[in-house]
Amino acid sequence: MDEKKDILSLDKFSVKEINDLLEKTDSFAEILKRDVKKVPALRGKTIINLFFEPSTRTKVSFEIAAKRLSADLINFSESSSSLKKGESEIDTLKTINAMKVDLIIIRHSDSGYINYFADALPVPVINAGDGKHEHPTQALLDLYTIYKSFPGLTGLKIGIVGDILNSRVARSDIKLFKKMGMDVTVIAPSMLIPENFSFFDVKIAAGIDEVISEVDVLYMLRMQFERQDKKYYPSISEYNKFLSLDLPRFNMMKTGSIIMHPGPVNTGLEISSEVMEMEESGKGKIKINTQVTNGVAVRMAVLYYALS
Amino acid sequence: MEFGNLRLAEKENIVIKNGCIINPQTLDKFEADILISGGKIKEIKKNLVPGPGDAFKEINAEGLYVCPGFTDMHVHLREPGNDGEEDINSGVKSALRGGITSIACMPNTDPVLDSQHLINYIKLKSKELNFNIYPVAAITKDLSGEKLSEFGLLKSSGAVAFSDDGRCVQNARLMYEAMKYATQFNALFILHEEDYSFSGSGLVNEGYYSAMLGLEGISCFSEDLMVARDIMLAKAAGARIHITHVSSAKTVDMIAKAKNDGVNITCDTTCEHLFFNDSCLTGYDTNFKIKPPIRSEADRMAIIKGLRQGTIDAIASDHAPHLLSEKNVSFKEAAFGSIGLETLFKASFSKLFFEEKFSIEKIISLISYNPAKILNIEGGAIETGRIANISIIDTSCENIYKSDDIISRSKNSSFLGQNLKGEIKYTIANGKVMFINN
Amino acid sequence: MREKATVLNADDIERIIKRISHEIVERNKGSENLIFIGIQKKGVPLAKRIKESIESISDSELKLGKLDISFYRDDVNEKIKSDVSITEIPFEIKGKDIILVDDVLFTGRTIRAALDAIMDFGRPQSIQLVVLIDRGHRELPIRADYVGKNLPTSLNEFVEVKLSETDDEDKVSICWI
Repeated sequence: MDEKKDILSLDKFSVKEINDLLEKTDSFAEILKRDVKKVPALRGKTIINLFFEPSTRTKVSFEIAAKRLSADLINFSESSSSLKKGESEIDTLKTINAMKVDLIIIRHSDSGYINYFADALPVPVINAGDGKHEHPTQALLDLYTIYKSFPGLTGLKIGIVGDILNSRVARSDIKLFKKMGMDVTVIAPSMLIPENFSFFDVKIAAGIDEVISEVDVLYMLRMQFERQDKKYYPSISEYNKFLSLDLPRFNMMKTGSIIMHPGPVNTGLEISSEVMEMEESGKGKIKINTQVTNGVAVRMAVLYYALS
Repeated sequence: MEFGNLRLAEKENIVIKNGCIINPQTLDKFEADILISGGKIKEIKKNLVPGPGDAFKEINAEGLYVCPGFTDMHVHLREPGNDGEEDINSGVKSALRGGITSIACMPNTDPVLDSQHLINYIKLKSKELNFNIYPVAAITKDLSGEKLSEFGLLKSSGAVAFSDDGRCVQNARLMYEAMKYATQFNALFILHEEDYSFSGSGLVNEGYYSAMLGLEGISCFSEDLMVARDIMLAKAAGARIHITHVSSAKTVDMIAKAKNDGVNITCDTTCEHLFFNDSCLTGYDTNFKIKPPIRSEADRMAIIKGLRQGTIDAIASDHAPHLLSEKNVSFKEAAFGSIGLETLFKASFSKLFFEEKFSIEKIISLISYNPAKILNIEGGAIETGRIANISIIDTSCENIYKSDDIISRSKNSSFLGQNLKGEIKYTIANGKVMFINN
Repeated sequence: MREKATVLNADDIERIIKRISHEIVERNKGSENLIFIGIQKKGVPLAKRIKESIESISDSELKLGKLDISFYRDDVNEKIKSDVSITEIPFEIKGKDIILVDDVLFTGRTIRAALDAIMDFGRPQSIQLVVLIDRGHRELPIRADYVGKNLPTSLNEFVEVKLSETDDEDKVSICWI
């Protein structure tokens, strides 16, 4: 039997494989444009959406993707707050495995735990986000969104703004964007960048103004000030002054450049409400909803790939 | 594999023939036979013939090294309180398996070794099992970092040193008072150095791998800042301090300078810190989750250099048994620690002899003579008249280390799956053959 | 794979395209209601050739779609094919006469999948099937309306279709597997 196709990160994928996947994603995106948005490709396949950490967007996106391909998807959420945390999770896993499913999508709040699950399971495992580690399908949908907006990826200038330290999206995106030959700058305060970040071989800027007029893609990360690890950052006012996308900055952006965000946007924090309204006015720069649509297509492609 | 009966106290008459005896104090070796009787080394000479009439147990040590029994100055026996992980009995067997004849056990048990009766209890157990266990008492009551324990009383009961191991006294003033007071009893401090503001909820060394793997980092500052503080305080207080499980390059550097500066300081590192670098973390194996964390290759190299130059005096195991259920969880949830009694020699030898070209005498000194000297205890030498604590090793074997090889009650070893060289063939503890590996 | 014999050369293929084009126009009494759908991969250039041929006969402009049937295959429980191509049917098919084009008709399973796929896009007036080669061995009750060449084969033979759009020449040959 072939090795099962887990997708825990995109590290093992070559540039060619990523390009193939992007190209194939078009075929899945096409299904979403039809009147009957469903094909029997994964009929008879059972997929478990196993979320040990709360999520709505990613969970629903995978659910729609599975259903568009006619797979049976079962949602399984388990609060991981119980005292005997480890034991109950492994127990859950064994139970699900005994039910003879074909693929398991897992999200967990602890980095790397998914590798352990993947080793323990005989069926493909897809990482829907593990701790501060990886979020491969988000990175793929981000890349696909960029791919559909520009004629080529190599040399594109991308600025990633916000909390790099705690973001699995940033980690997966940076690695993938670098792999595809893009020119990545992170725009973040020092306390939200990992120590010795030079390892990642990206440029670092302290404020958005340093790059705003040059970037092809401006990627705004979600900021969660209520989280404990933001305690070293001074204030929201400081964030607004140096790191928020407001109207004057929006107007300085290049023609053809795009704005992305993994969602949900904290309007007024990462992106000002005036800029968010631009989305309705049809200026076409803000790709946040496109990312969501592309997320379904990319996840369809990923599910199909993992089961083929 | 055979173990002697721990509870039978009668001595044996033993003759060790044709071995190569290592003297870790003078760093040389010579061929001779050893005669042991009544628990002591009676005679060391070539072609030794035991007197007629006596029954002697003969060990043919041809091609083997005969070393002073090893001393592990950093062990968690988990008794009292956590005998599911280990107890004194199982810990002693694990030590014998590793060629170790003396151990210093850390006070972070439940209850904490911070009172005379608990120190007495460990000493009693030691006597009962005919095995040298030297209890280390807590610096602060209940390891709280708030109130000093009774250094005078504890030392008189037999505490070999004082440590809050696993914790670190954050209050600098309290540490200074502790050091000054300790000097009045000539007491040794074994210091686990950790600045909580830098270790926080960290799991692994802060660096490339922590960033790549999304695991929270523990900066070297966590160790370095506390070492800097304690060197300064010890110098002022005239205290005798030993920094345990040194992990960072900067700390090695500071200790070297402090030694030059006349500070009464020694230190040890662990097998993990000299063997691995943080690239081992990529598989998220929780057996690599230890504290202080396994650091970068540059730090590891500094540790090797520190060992070579004598800045680092000893290698300890920091034997920290944990249940499978504490390790078979996510990296974040897993307990810190790895067992190490059984691999103390093998891991040190595998790395230092074969890769770093240390002499066998030097390696043995790091796990026998030096730690015994730091603790000021019997051991670390093979001399006529001494109590016979001897381990006999074969340097020609190598094996992939497996869970089934482990004698300890816990199986959480960082060395599982590693090709380890060298093997313990016999361990003689207090004049009795207590372990035979045939 | 070893070539056994050439079955059709470029001229043969050109003649077949012309003949089938005339047959289609004749049978449908013109071309106004026709829509062409090629099955990925080789059906697409063949459909395009027929469409263009008919356009030149009837002087009209006709629509061409592409259909990939990977998502409709009936062997999902064996092995899903990961070689997916694009489907493009960017027009209304309701009430139209669809000319479905593929290179080789064999078991009939591809055509079954294609019929299912087309139905997901709407309800055409009719679907008519064009194949360049019919090699027999049907496993489903499916037949072609227009056949370039009937070619009796054995199961250990393979029909290789080369088209200048994707290969370097126009040629159909029969090979040993």
